[in-house]
Amino acid sequence: MLIQGKWHAQGSAAQSSATLRLESDRFVIEIEGGLSFSGKLEDLQISDRLGNVERKLTLEDGSIFSTQDNKSIDRLFKDHKKINYFIHRLESHFAWVAIAIICIIVFSFSFFKWGVPWVSSKIAHALPDKANELIAGHTLDFLDDYIFDESQLEEQNKEKIRSRFRSRLIPLEEKNSIIKYKLLFRAWGDGEEGIPNAFALPSGDIILTDKFVELSESQDEIDAVILHEMGHVAHRHSLEMVIESTLVTTVVMMITGDNSGFVDMGLGVGSLLVSSNYSRGHESEADLYAFEHMLVAKIDPQAFSDIMNRITAYMGKVENTEEHEEEGGGLSSSLLDYLSSHPGTAERVDRAMWYSECFKKGLLVCNAVDEDNNKF
Amino acid sequence: MQALRFEGSGFEYFKIWIVNLLLILITLGLYYPWAKVRNHRYFYANSTLEGRNFEYHATGKQLFVGYLIAMALFITYVIIQNISPVGSMVVLLVFLLALPWIIWRSLKFNFRMTSFSNVRFSFEEGVGGAYVNYMLLPIAFFLALYVGPIVMAILLPTLGESASSGMTGVFITVGIIISLVLAIYLFAFMKKNNTRYMVGGCRYGQGCFFTDVETKGFLIILLKTIGFSLLSFFLFALLAGVVVSATVGLEGLVGIQQSISDLDAMGDIFAGSAFLVIVGSVYLGFIVLTLIIIAYSYTRQRTYIYANSTLDGNINFASTLKMSSMAWVMISNFFAVILSLGLALAWAKVRMARLILENTQVNTDAGFEQYITQKQQEQSSLGEQIGDAFDVDVGIGF
Repeated sequence: MLIQGKWHAQGSAAQSSATLRLESDRFVIEIEGGLSFSGKLEDLQISDRLGNVERKLTLEDGSIFSTQDNKSIDRLFKDHKKINYFIHRLESHFAWVAIAIICIIVFSFSFFKWGVPWVSSKIAHALPDKANELIAGHTLDFLDDYIFDESQLEEQNKEKIRSRFRSRLIPLEEKNSIIKYKLLFRAWGDGEEGIPNAFALPSGDIILTDKFVELSESQDEIDAVILHEMGHVAHRHSLEMVIESTLVTTVVMMITGDNSGFVDMGLGVGSLLVSSNYSRGHESEADLYAFEHMLVAKIDPQAFSDIMNRITAYMGKVENTEEHEEEGGGLSSSLLDYLSSHPGTAERVDRAMWYSECFKKGLLVCNAVDEDNNKF
Repeated sequence: MQALRFEGSGFEYFKIWIVNLLLILITLGLYYPWAKVRNHRYFYANSTLEGRNFEYHATGKQLFVGYLIAMALFITYVIIQNISPVGSMVVLLVFLLALPWIIWRSLKFNFRMTSFSNVRFSFEEGVGGAYVNYMLLPIAFFLALYVGPIVMAILLPTLGESASSGMTGVFITVGIIISLVLAIYLFAFMKKNNTRYMVGGCRYGQGCFFTDVETKGFLIILLKTIGFSLLSFFLFALLAGVVVSATVGLEGLVGIQQSISDLDAMGDIFAGSAFLVIVGSVYLGFIVLTLIIIAYSYTRQRTYIYANSTLDGNINFASTLKMSSMAWVMISNFFAVILSLGLALAWAKVRMARLILENTQVNTDAGFEQYITQKQQEQSSLGEQIGDAFDVDVGIGF
């Protein structure tokens, strides 16, 4: 068999036509003009097959025989030379390509849906407490300087909440005693337009806003929300968020690394959807933590649904009177679901009521609601 | 003049691409350098001129160490960014200081790993030029943008009492105009310098590339681009306004806004979908327009640079790339990739490569036979690979 090709002296652009043939375990290259080379097959370096691009055979002296005839090269050297065919075989069989497509779709879906949260939670819990504190850093100072004002609540009122927190809630977390939970009161927004909310910092500081305390009608409601925030701390959600966004950014960069920039415009929306889905997962987790501990502490989980409903109603009222627009939201309720970082209030209230049923039966443990609480 | 050809096919590349992606996923990213080599080899080897082709010579093993280091640095950066805003500013500053060096290393590495017809390219400009082109000039450009406001801030208080209000207006206008003129001129000057640095530093074997692009040439292209963008965005805004008021009307829009703030009134599906359609089409129209303007500026600059560059003074180049075909391929690629959730990426890349190559002309009368790869001293190649691993795209299309 004679393979037609071209020959280049080492490093030279000049090319002459040439032929290659095998004689037992030796190759012979004859170049137009009379020159010819021959040598042992082992001394030939053959480039890996890649689609149908020109094949290069490098001789010992650095000169090159190149040919388009991939088929003949593959056939000729199959038994004589080790060439890496594995990847080309994957690329050239339709079945393998189809499997690859399916694998990639399944893999990337599960990676983002379960892999990232799972790995992040493992890493977050494996890291020492120092890492947790590092994230909290100067967050509280920052919030105090720019967002919060001093609390206007009466000292007596605050002390009541604190003492119940110490006597009823902290004992629930004995086993997690490394975390030092602390209650802080702050005002956010002025007077009548205050914002009812509660926050947890990784250090264990839990912040309640004045408006939230004003809106709550019973001590149980306050405890329910504090427990929810303790859930965030115990599950190390802040640390998980950091790890999750690191993973997502790295992977997205890797997959799209050699793309033109135009695809990026679509990517921003994608990663927004993914990361708000993760934080929805965190909220559900913190809710469950609160409900389970409320059963143990003999607090009716209904308190959680009461305060949620009241806050939602209050926020709606403020928005209507002030004609505030919800940013970008409200296109349709399902789309809103995807975009919001908290699960829908209705969903959370339902779950609270489920646990409330258990509470009324006097149970200390309750089977989780039989539904996917982490919708993608 | 002879046009380059692209001999690959979308389907063939798709198979290579999807297997690459699969192996990257299975190996949790470790395969990336080898995938990159296969990608590059495919595009280089399929670019041909008169039966001679390009080759990419880097190996996966060679890229691997640099890739690991770049990955570690990148992950560190993302973590710092999440933890401390101040820390991420510092890291970003260090990165910006190192960026010209990285670009320079990357240029040297990539040129050296590229051959045409068995002869290697190389890049022979120094690192100083990289600092001028990728640090000093961009900084000067941004300063120029703020010169006007700064001058006004200094002058206005001193003149404030004596000057009448009419005078103040004149000063403000003059300040803005000075800023704009300076910034536009500097931008064109920067483009000229970049091109001279990139093309002038490029060697093909013993052959040198020359270019005599001038600031004036880039200035004309830039001014046309600005005029074209202003005009088309103005028309677009006008059109969008007319369409919105004709279909939904102002009252409709207000109604939609109200139904948004009132979550219970979400039942009005018609209003919701009309709102979606309007916002969506304005957004898409904006993207399409942006792509057209990018295509305009890119093709004009390419034509200008190619027409004014030679290899050794006797091999000339020309770009026949038209704005309309470039814009069409960019826009259709964009939609194909989005609608196929990324699967059309391979096909899109092949289309783009074919368009660009087939519109690149080379005068081959002088021939390439006399070119020979020059011996290069082996430098610390690790540094070059690190530069390459950041995948900094300095954007010159050969």
